[in-house]
Amino acid sequence: MKPNAGTAGRRRTGRLLVDLALWAVGLVMVAPLIWLVVQSLTAEEAAFTLPPGWVPDPFTLDNFQEIPGLIPFGRMALNSLQVAVISTVGSLLVSVLAAYAFSRLSFRGRDGIFMIMLSALMVPTQMTVIPVFVLMRNLGLVDTLAALWLPALINVFSIFFLRQYFNTIPRELDEAARIDGAGHLWILFRMIVPLSGPALAAMTILTFELSWNNYFGPLIFLSTPENMTLPIGLVTLQSGQSGSSVVVFAAITAVVVPVLVVFLCFQRSFVASIASAGLRG
Amino acid sequence: MTAVTTPATERAAPRPATPAGRSRGQRAGYLFVTPAVLLFLVFVAGPFAAAVVLSFYSWDLLTPAEFNGFGNFTEMVGDPLLYQALANTFLFALASVVTHVVGGLLLALAVNRTMSRVLSYFVRTALFFPFVISWAAVALLWKYVLDPTFGVVTHYAGEVGLSTPDWFTDPDWALPAIIGIDLWHTIGFTFIIMLAGLQTVPSQLIEAARCDGASRRQILWYVTLPAMSPTIFFAVVITFIGAFQIFDPVQIITPQGGPDNSTLTVVMYLYQKGFQTFQAGYASAVSLLVFAVMLVVTLVQFWGARKWVHHQ
Repeated sequence: MKPNAGTAGRRRTGRLLVDLALWAVGLVMVAPLIWLVVQSLTAEEAAFTLPPGWVPDPFTLDNFQEIPGLIPFGRMALNSLQVAVISTVGSLLVSVLAAYAFSRLSFRGRDGIFMIMLSALMVPTQMTVIPVFVLMRNLGLVDTLAALWLPALINVFSIFFLRQYFNTIPRELDEAARIDGAGHLWILFRMIVPLSGPALAAMTILTFELSWNNYFGPLIFLSTPENMTLPIGLVTLQSGQSGSSVVVFAAITAVVVPVLVVFLCFQRSFVASIASAGLRG
Repeated sequence: MTAVTTPATERAAPRPATPAGRSRGQRAGYLFVTPAVLLFLVFVAGPFAAAVVLSFYSWDLLTPAEFNGFGNFTEMVGDPLLYQALANTFLFALASVVTHVVGGLLLALAVNRTMSRVLSYFVRTALFFPFVISWAAVALLWKYVLDPTFGVVTHYAGEVGLSTPDWFTDPDWALPAIIGIDLWHTIGFTFIIMLAGLQTVPSQLIEAARCDGASRRQILWYVTLPAMSPTIFFAVVITFIGAFQIFDPVQIITPQGGPDNSTLTVVMYLYQKGFQTFQAGYASAVSLLVFAVMLVVTLVQFWGARKWVHHQ
């Protein structure tokens, strides 16, 4: 069935308009980021001029060199990395064990425990933060990184997500391994885990991103600049009087650009993780 | 519990039928679940119970807590600032749901077709870029982007003859500005969800409708959108849950709650009460309110999931 020339032409114009609109939306999305990077590379006296500059002129890296004089940037980056790595690896380990138990082992109270944990997904973190803060204070962990990664070790969503994934792996496989004399740890780490690549990747990416970008936790628990993570460090830098705007921009750039580069490298699996988990960061 | 002493490396295959086998399976089960349960008790269930108890006390986090009965709750009923925070938060959540769901759906519909690969890659990447950046960076950046003197938005709006308000000092415009920034930050997420939903719509349905002579608009209204209703519903729920707990951008951009408290949100109020004026009991009572809202939303979600489960 061939549409007549009029509708075909109209459809082509329509398609062109939608293409244009999409280009425009895409530009609006990236423009603030480009502006950010450009200003951070522009000499202080020439930055933030109007009309806005879209190329760094004169180009300089001085703004970046001024960051360490104002906040311990490298230290903060290491802190962020440390918290994110421990939270991710630790919570994954705890979740994998629990998910295996909920998926494969039968023990009294299993479904009850699982339901109670699941219902805790409704509890907002802001509700538990005051008691957790008091707990950390009693343990002497306020203003330490442990105050951030310890509570992050329990990730109910990740337990749930992994259990659902484990349930899709045929049980005949572990039955066969058990007949061959394999123990549960062997079955879990030599069979189930290698078969769960996509699910584990999704949880790794999401947990890491959530920890790396966390602002609420560090705001509550951390107070010394040397102990801070990057998000709270950025805000501290901006609210301090000492830093000029270009240095703030340089610091934001230094935080944002590596993340964007990592994202570009892993875009496919990243987007797939978000879509599969349907989780908002 | 004796289970804790058993080495986890037991190799025998437990047979559920024999009592010994079952108990060994039981032990392994408890062992595997113990780290999660302990952490859960210490960092989730315990604190949750503590928050409930605390909401009946008044406590400054230092001196001994005093039992206050329903004092915190009666105080909440007569707290105009809490009402303001609730109104702001609901307004924000509503605007957030509408803009994200409509925007995400339109973008997904616009992208889900044959188009140039360059444009497809560019749009997907650009839409998702802001979502991977921390709120701290996003909020600081936008504070400058919307700056009344050297901000980009102010300048280009002026170029086309629009005058822009002084966003974060104008009580009428501070919250809308935050709504816009939030849209920029998280639309990529809604877009991905919508696109995934759109791609699950069975193509036979669309083909069948086309063969029956349905127009493109009719296909959209009577085939695609109804088939996508579970996805749309999910996006509404998840956007609402996220938006209702909005804290980072409002706290960073307008730390005091904005002009005339126009950007004060419930979670921000909770934070102020708990960690700035040290009214831990009152803050806990407010947090119970947030929990109640989440509970209602979850019940609605269950109801909706049951309603739509046979629909596909």
